[in-house]
Amino acid sequence: MKILTLIRQVPDAEARVRVTNGAVDLEGATLVMDGMDEYGVEQALRLREGGADAEIVALAVGPRRNEDALRTALAMGADRAVHVETDAVLDPISLSKVVARIAQTEGIDLVLVGGQQADWDSQALGAATAERLGWPQLTWTNGLQVQDGALTGRHDVDEGNETFTATLPAVVTTQQGLNEPRYPTLPNIMKAKKKELRKDTLDQYGVTPLVRVVGAEIQARARMNRVIDGKDPQAAAAQLLELLRNEAKVIA
Amino acid sequence: MTDVLDSAHATGVSFDLTDEQRMIVQHVRDYCRAEIAPLAAQHDRTGEFPRAQLRGLGELGLLGATIPEQWGGAGLDSVTYALCLEEIAAADASVAVIVSVQNGLPEQMLLRYGTDEQKARFLRPLASGQRIGAFCLTESHAGSDAASLRMRAERDGDDWVLTGQKAWITSGGQADTYLVMARTGGPGARGVTCFVVENGTPGLSFGKPEEKMGLHAAHTTTVGFDGVRVPDAQRVGAEGEGLVVALSSLDAGRVGIAMQALGIARAAYEHAARYALEREQFGRPIAEHQAVSFKIANMAARIEAARLVALKAAWLKDQGRRYSKEASIAKLLASDAAVEVTRDAIQVFGGNGYSREYPVERLYRDAKVTEIYEGTSEVQQMVIARQVFGEFRG
Repeated sequence: MKILTLIRQVPDAEARVRVTNGAVDLEGATLVMDGMDEYGVEQALRLREGGADAEIVALAVGPRRNEDALRTALAMGADRAVHVETDAVLDPISLSKVVARIAQTEGIDLVLVGGQQADWDSQALGAATAERLGWPQLTWTNGLQVQDGALTGRHDVDEGNETFTATLPAVVTTQQGLNEPRYPTLPNIMKAKKKELRKDTLDQYGVTPLVRVVGAEIQARARMNRVIDGKDPQAAAAQLLELLRNEAKVIA
Repeated sequence: MTDVLDSAHATGVSFDLTDEQRMIVQHVRDYCRAEIAPLAAQHDRTGEFPRAQLRGLGELGLLGATIPEQWGGAGLDSVTYALCLEEIAAADASVAVIVSVQNGLPEQMLLRYGTDEQKARFLRPLASGQRIGAFCLTESHAGSDAASLRMRAERDGDDWVLTGQKAWITSGGQADTYLVMARTGGPGARGVTCFVVENGTPGLSFGKPEEKMGLHAAHTTTVGFDGVRVPDAQRVGAEGEGLVVALSSLDAGRVGIAMQALGIARAAYEHAARYALEREQFGRPIAEHQAVSFKIANMAARIEAARLVALKAAWLKDQGRRYSKEASIAKLLASDAAVEVTRDAIQVFGGNGYSREYPVERLYRDAKVTEIYEGTSEVQQMVIARQVFGEFRG
């Protein structure tokens, strides 16, 4: 089988993000593979290690720097990578067109994408891709196996969680708890450089962004820096309740 | 090579890392921040040996970083390894010294002087991180003057019987594989032979971990040999060649300690710079007070200068060229920088810096020993001076 795992690159959780000329400026920020997508790569590797005869293809759609995230996926163990290089910022519906096209041309059986993205969160990409392909989609999975050409697993729903079986091909979105992604070993990082990384252009897919971001602002949350004197615990608790009820209005 | 013209080479000077080097260092940084740094303060307090952290680093390949993959290592070049060591030290200097000793001493000795059988049996488990290695040269009366060591090894049929005591052994008691220098001949440098002794061999014993100023998680003990019997197959290198074997890896070890010192210095510098931007006195961040900003500037300058020499020494090693002088200069400058930068970092933190609530006092305690072990600063100056006068005499 062939597994396609989508890689997005996001600022490191500790990165300081600025806005310059109405756009988020990532200059100088450390960019990493989105944690959600790491679960996808790891799960693809585990399916293969669990006995599935799988080729694992990592895909990124974005600027040149995405190569680093793709190399990380290759270093973890993906077999080859496809980079649709573009500086355009794609909305999830446009992006899903690229992912679906590649899934078809590459003869993919299983698409793994992060349930959401750490920076520009839409949660729509998996669903949009499944819709385009007419494949089943399983969201927020926290357990996944392949048995006799079918998927089995577990995923979260609003009320709790369900176990499922589904036919392949399918689209699966990942989430925290699915697995513990491995760190690539240093020899594998060196070998990753020699693996195939194919470059495509966005033009090849006839995709243009449907949504254009014209301005951005960073939400600043000011702390109130209120400190409750804890010498008398009972009084402190009473004061805290009073503040939560009447000032913060978070309890009735 | 104090004259820059002596270093001219075909490709010119380049300070760019390759893509692989950059990726490796980035991954090691991420790993160390996530898995090692969070435990450093706790291990400093409890003195717990960082076994889990070492196992993790071993899985990445960092316990045999420059050893060829054939022998279980990661096959990195020395520059990349040096940069990785800085990352480990920036997270936890105790872990870094254990890693530096393992990579720089027992493994290099076995790689250079071990037979294929010894490499398969002793080097591979070290390089792949399954075992921890130790280097037993120093004795209580033989520190900088290593050639005066007294520990004996007597031939008995196909075996050697080792008797004596080693001191200040990094990972003593915790390590599995010990490379031991013992006297098999007359006095002086030529009477010494190197042996591999495995933990658990009858007659081998360990003292309690020394109560040190810093590097609490890196255990340092005496190692006792009371009639420890090893077969001749565990002799590394020729009889009488032991000190050559031991000292062959000294230059690499010095670059390792230079990078450890730099990692400690960098951690202190980063803490100090961030604190200076946050802490306000007299109505503005202390970073805006010249007395503080000059300290930070000096830290940056000291670290940058020492790192350049250390990386040059590593690069010379990769080119297969002599780098003794550069290794000693790097260790001298880096350890000096580490002590000064960590001391100044405490000053930037003020009273908080003196408190164990903040990391800089630990960094100061960890930094000091880099001026002492693997050749004191004074020994480095001796080495440098000897080479300088050698160059002038021609």
